[in-house]
Amino acid sequence: MIGVWHYLAVAAVLFGLGLVGFLTRRNLITMFLCAELMLQGVVLNLVAFSKFHGNLSGQVFGLVVITVAACEAGMAMALFVLLYRRAKTLDASDWQGVREDQIPAAPEEAGPPMAEPAPAYPTLTPAGARPSAGEEAPARV
Amino acid sequence: MSETTLAMAVVLLPLLAAVATTVLRPLRLVHLAHVPAVVGFGAAAVLAFWLLLQVQDAKVPSFINAPIPWFSLGNLRVTVSIHVDPLSATMLATVTFVAAWIAIFSAGYMHGDSGYDRYFAVMGLFVFSMCLLVLANNFLLLVAGWEGVGLCSYLLVGYYYAKPSAAAAARKAFLVTRLGDVGFLLGIFLLWQAGHYEMNLNQLFTNLVLHPPSDGTLTTACLLLFCGAVGKSAQFPLYVWLPDAMEGPTPVSALIHAATMVTAGVYLLARCAPIYAMSSAATATVALIGGITACLAAFLAVGQTDLKRVLAYSTVSQLGFMFMALGCMRAITPGIAVAAAIFHLFTHAFFKALLFLGSGSVMHAMGGVDIRKFGGLRRLMPVTHLTFLAGAAALAGIPPLAGFWSKDQILDALNEACDSDSPNGAIYAIVLGLALIAAAMTAFYTFRAYFLTFWGEERIPPEAGHHAHESPWVMLAPLCVLAVGAVFAGIAVEPFGNGFSHFLSRSPSVELANVVYAKQTNLIPIEHPHLNLTVAGVGMGLAFLGFGLAAVLYRKGGPEVVPPMLVPVFEASKNKLYVDEIYNATVVKPAEVLATASRQVDGAVGSLARLVAFLPKAVGTFLRPLQNGLVQFYALGMVLGLAVFLTLVVARFTR
Repeated sequence: MIGVWHYLAVAAVLFGLGLVGFLTRRNLITMFLCAELMLQGVVLNLVAFSKFHGNLSGQVFGLVVITVAACEAGMAMALFVLLYRRAKTLDASDWQGVREDQIPAAPEEAGPPMAEPAPAYPTLTPAGARPSAGEEAPARV
Repeated sequence: MSETTLAMAVVLLPLLAAVATTVLRPLRLVHLAHVPAVVGFGAAAVLAFWLLLQVQDAKVPSFINAPIPWFSLGNLRVTVSIHVDPLSATMLATVTFVAAWIAIFSAGYMHGDSGYDRYFAVMGLFVFSMCLLVLANNFLLLVAGWEGVGLCSYLLVGYYYAKPSAAAAARKAFLVTRLGDVGFLLGIFLLWQAGHYEMNLNQLFTNLVLHPPSDGTLTTACLLLFCGAVGKSAQFPLYVWLPDAMEGPTPVSALIHAATMVTAGVYLLARCAPIYAMSSAATATVALIGGITACLAAFLAVGQTDLKRVLAYSTVSQLGFMFMALGCMRAITPGIAVAAAIFHLFTHAFFKALLFLGSGSVMHAMGGVDIRKFGGLRRLMPVTHLTFLAGAAALAGIPPLAGFWSKDQILDALNEACDSDSPNGAIYAIVLGLALIAAAMTAFYTFRAYFLTFWGEERIPPEAGHHAHESPWVMLAPLCVLAVGAVFAGIAVEPFGNGFSHFLSRSPSVELANVVYAKQTNLIPIEHPHLNLTVAGVGMGLAFLGFGLAAVLYRKGGPEVVPPMLVPVFEASKNKLYVDEIYNATVVKPAEVLATASRQVDGAVGSLARLVAFLPKAVGTFLRPLQNGLVQFYALGMVLGLAVFLTLVVARFTR
C-alpha cells in the first residue's frame, strides 16, 4: 500500500537532488533546473499532504507554486540570455561583482571556458538512391 | 545745563573719543590718535571741575538723573541711573584730570608705536568705564563699570601682547581680580536681598539702616564686598597681580595701576559707608588687612631693583593706608574716616601718577627701569629730577607736601580709633603700629629709589643710545602740572579749614553713615578732624628717619651697597618674600594637578567612546569576507543554517 510516507520520501529525494545540484553545478541553467527540482519536491509534499488530509488547499497551493515557477523560468531564461551575451559564459562564479570592497575575488578554478558552440546547420536527407558504403555523402545546404 | 546732564557728558566724552580713535586707521591718520583722547579727556576734566563747583554751591548736593531704562526681567527693572554727590564728583574730577594729563604724556611716550591708535582707544574706553563706575547709582551699573575697567586693565597690561611676560601678567591680573569679584558679586546679591530688592543705592542703604538684617548677614555682606575691593585694589592676599601689571606701558601704570582703577575698591567702600558703619567686625577686618598690606608691601618695595616695581609696591602699600582709614568707620565718625581715605586717594593720585610718569621719562631716556644700570641722572634730566623729587617727598610724607597731610589724617583716624571705646581697640592699636612702620619704610624706599636714580656719578647704560637726554616738553608739561598738584593739592584743600572733609561729609551716603554711627554708639559725630600734633610729629619724625637712613646709605649713588648684616633682609624683600613661589606651590600647582587629572579623566572617557566605535569595526573585519559575491557560497550558508535549525528542531522534538 502506498502511503503518504512514500510520497514524502520521493519529495525528499527530489529536494536533496536539487539541493546537491544547486550547490555543486556552476552552469546557470543547470542551477536553475536544480532549483526547480527543489521546488517540485516541495510541491509534491503539498499535494501529498492535501491528499492525506483530504482537503484541496494544498493542491491549490501547488498550482500557485507551479504558476510562479513558470513565471520564474521565463524571467530567469531571459536574464541568462542577457548575461551570456555579456560574458559569453554561463559560469555562475564569473559574476562576483556584488561583494564587499577589499575582499579579493574567488580564484579562477574553472575548467576551460565553454567553447563557442559550432554553428549547426540543418541537413536534409539527400534524394535519390542510397549511396554506397564508403562513399562520402555530399553535404547539402 | 543741569548737574546730571553735565555728569552724563563727562561719562560720554571719553567714550566718544574712543570711538573716534577707532576710525582713524582706515583714514590713515594713526599718528593723530592722541587728539581725540586729549581733547575728550580734557573737555571731560573741565566739565568735571565745573560740576564740582556746582555741587559745592548746591544746597542739597545730591543729584539723580531721570532713569533711562536699561533692561527688565520680570518685575526687575534695571535703569541707567547716575548719582552726583560730593564723593562721586571729587572722584570724577580726579580721574578725568589725571587722565587728561596722562593722555598728553602718552602722546610723547608712545610716539611712533605700532599700536598707537589701539592704545588711545582702550584708554578712552577705560576712562569711560571708570566714570561709569564712579557715577553709578545701582550696583549693576557699578559692576558694568567695574568689569569695564578690569577689561581695559587686561588689554593695556597686555598691550605688548607678543611679549610672553606681558601676556602672562595680563592674564594674572585678570584672573586674580576675578577671584575677588566672585565675592563682590555674592556680596551685592546678599545686600540686594537684605535691602528689599531696591535698585537705587541710597535707597538701598536707607532700607538696610531702617530694617537692619542680622549681624551675621551684614558682616558677611560687608566682607564679601570687601573681597571685590581686595582684588581690585590689590590688597593682601590678592596683591600679587599689581607688581606684574607693570609690564604694561608706563603711562598705563600711572593711570590705571596707580591713580584710578586700583582706587575703585576704596571708592566702593566709601560709597557703602552706611553699611560698614553698622558692622564692627567687618571694619576691623578691613583695617587689619589694610595694615598688613601696607606694611608687607612697603617691606617688599625696599629691595626691588626695578624702579616701576618699587612704585607698584608703594601703590599697594598706600592703598593699604586708605583701607586702614576706611576700617576706622565704626570706631570713629564715619565721615572723618571716609574723608581721610578719599583725601589720601586724591593726593595719591597726583603724586603717584607723577612718580610713574617720572619713571616713564627715565625709562624713555634709559631704555629700561633697572636702577642698578643707571644713576646720577640729575644733571642729564633736570626737570624729571625735580618733579620726581616733589613726588617722592610727597609720597614719603615730608611736610608740607600733599602726602604728609593725607597720611597724617589717616594716622590721626587710627589713633582716634585706638582711643575710642570700640571693642576692637586692640586691633586698631596693632594697625596703628603697622601704619607707623609702613610710613617709615615708605620714606626709606622712596628715597632709596630717588638717590639711586638721580644721585652719584652719572652712569648711562649702553642700551640708552642716543635717547639719553631730557624728554620732550610734551612729556615734561604733565610732570610739572602733576608736581604742582603733588606739592599743593594737600595744603590747598584740607589742613586750613577742613574744606575737603566738610565737602565730602555732605554726601548723602556719608551723612547716612554718620547717622548710623550716632545711633549705634550714642556719640555725636564730629564735624571735622582735629590736627593731633603728637601724631603729626611722630609721622613727620618717621618720614625724616626713613629719608635720613636712605640719604646715609645711598647719597653717593653708584651701585647699591647693602650693610652686610642686612643682606638676608634685602634678599628676602627683593625676592618678594617668595610669595609668588608660595602661591605657585599652594594654589597654582594643585590647580595644575587637578587640571591634568581632569584631562586624564576626559581622555579615559574619550577612549571609552572610541572603544564603542571600534567594536563594530573589529567585528566587521571578521565578517566582511563572508560577503564574497558568490551565489553558491550564500546558498551553502543558507543550507548550513537550515541544517543547524533542523538539527535543533529534531533534537528538541525527539527527546
